[in-house]
Amino acid sequence: MNDSNHASNNLPIDYAEGLERIGGDVDFLGELLKIYFEEFAEKLKLIQEAVERSDFISIRELGHSLKGASANLSLVSLRKASLFLETAGREERLNNAQTASRRLDTEMQRLKDYLENNPPDRQTI
Amino acid sequence: MRILIAEDDLISSRILEKHLGTWGFDVVLARTGEQAWEALKDGGLRMAILDWMMPGMDGVEVCQKIRRRKKYKYTYIILLSAKDRKQDIVAGLSSGADDYMAKPVNFLELRARLQTGRRIVELEDKLLAIQNQLKDIASRDSLTKLWNRAEITKFLKEEMSRGQREQKPTSVIMVDIDHFKKINDFYGHDVGDQALLQVAARLKKKLRQSDKIGRYGGDEMIIILPSCSLAEIPKIAERLRASVARRGIATELGSVPVSISAGGTSSENFSIPTADRLIKASDEALLKAKKRGRNCVVVDGLAEVINKG
Repeated sequence: MNDSNHASNNLPIDYAEGLERIGGDVDFLGELLKIYFEEFAEKLKLIQEAVERSDFISIRELGHSLKGASANLSLVSLRKASLFLETAGREERLNNAQTASRRLDTEMQRLKDYLENNPPDRQTI
Repeated sequence: MRILIAEDDLISSRILEKHLGTWGFDVVLARTGEQAWEALKDGGLRMAILDWMMPGMDGVEVCQKIRRRKKYKYTYIILLSAKDRKQDIVAGLSSGADDYMAKPVNFLELRARLQTGRRIVELEDKLLAIQNQLKDIASRDSLTKLWNRAEITKFLKEEMSRGQREQKPTSVIMVDIDHFKKINDFYGHDVGDQALLQVAARLKKKLRQSDKIGRYGGDEMIIILPSCSLAEIPKIAERLRASVARRGIATELGSVPVSISAGGTSSENFSIPTADRLIKASDEALLKAKKRGRNCVVVDGLAEVINKG
């Protein structure tokens, strides 16, 4: 896996799947995304610190945790980036962990841009 | 029904909480394995959804701890995990979980699985209720519903042990219905049964909540009086006697005069009191009361016949 060709054709969020999981409640999805953003900011900071000190256990755990949260909201590309981070932690590959950390940052920005033009409350399923 | 969600991921937890609330569950939340165990250890929660991966104690450990509890009602556990390999599922179920679901959870499926869990918990409740009913039936006399001989003897032994620990006396009064055989012969067994029932009801009314009354055999009834001294027995026994003799009992054949004789004793009468000794001594006192003309009270260790009715 390299940094340039990942998920570029995919939308960052699969609204249909994500909304189905929470009974089509767009307001609730908005509430969950807000929690996600707050958690993401905290965790990304921790990830960056863990990468700096090559703490692979924390890298793996943080990757695992973000993967679960991303999957719950059907944040497709962030889930993949989190999985990449978790795997890097498990395999103790620092380069991959650094790449994954950057990718998480990029994917978050891409998600935010996407949500700005396609907010949850304009979705229907 | 109350249910625990143990999930460190806030989003998962919020989604689960919302769904479960909609489905009529009363949700309790935990963020760590330790919090989950704290909520589950006293057995108050009958259903739990545990995330496998949690900081500190994980879901599998919580599951194992719950299954090691002995005296509590069953807790139905669904383990959630992103791990979906066969060996993970086997390991999860082997830890004592009832069910296993891979994340992200499909909520239609979760709802159906929770219904299964609820059915099992409700089934256990029904079985326990029946078990308690059977236990009660087995402990009681079928006619009078008083404690049966085995049960009342067990109470006496327990009370005596407690009395010894707390250095308090335990007293016993044995009563029987005067001329019960004649009542049966003259009025028939139905009236005899009614006499037993009504005498039992009158005696019960005069006892403290801590006292226990059982049918010892035939028309003999035994009353256990915890923390009751020898000196107190005459008054209590006389109250019992008077409550029965006060008026005849109403039967289908009209009012039938009934009285009882009573014999009492206390642990204070013995250097080494035992249940058998108390029963025997109260029985002997009862026999004396019979010999002295019935409808009266004799207390072992107290000289005079008290209150010939």
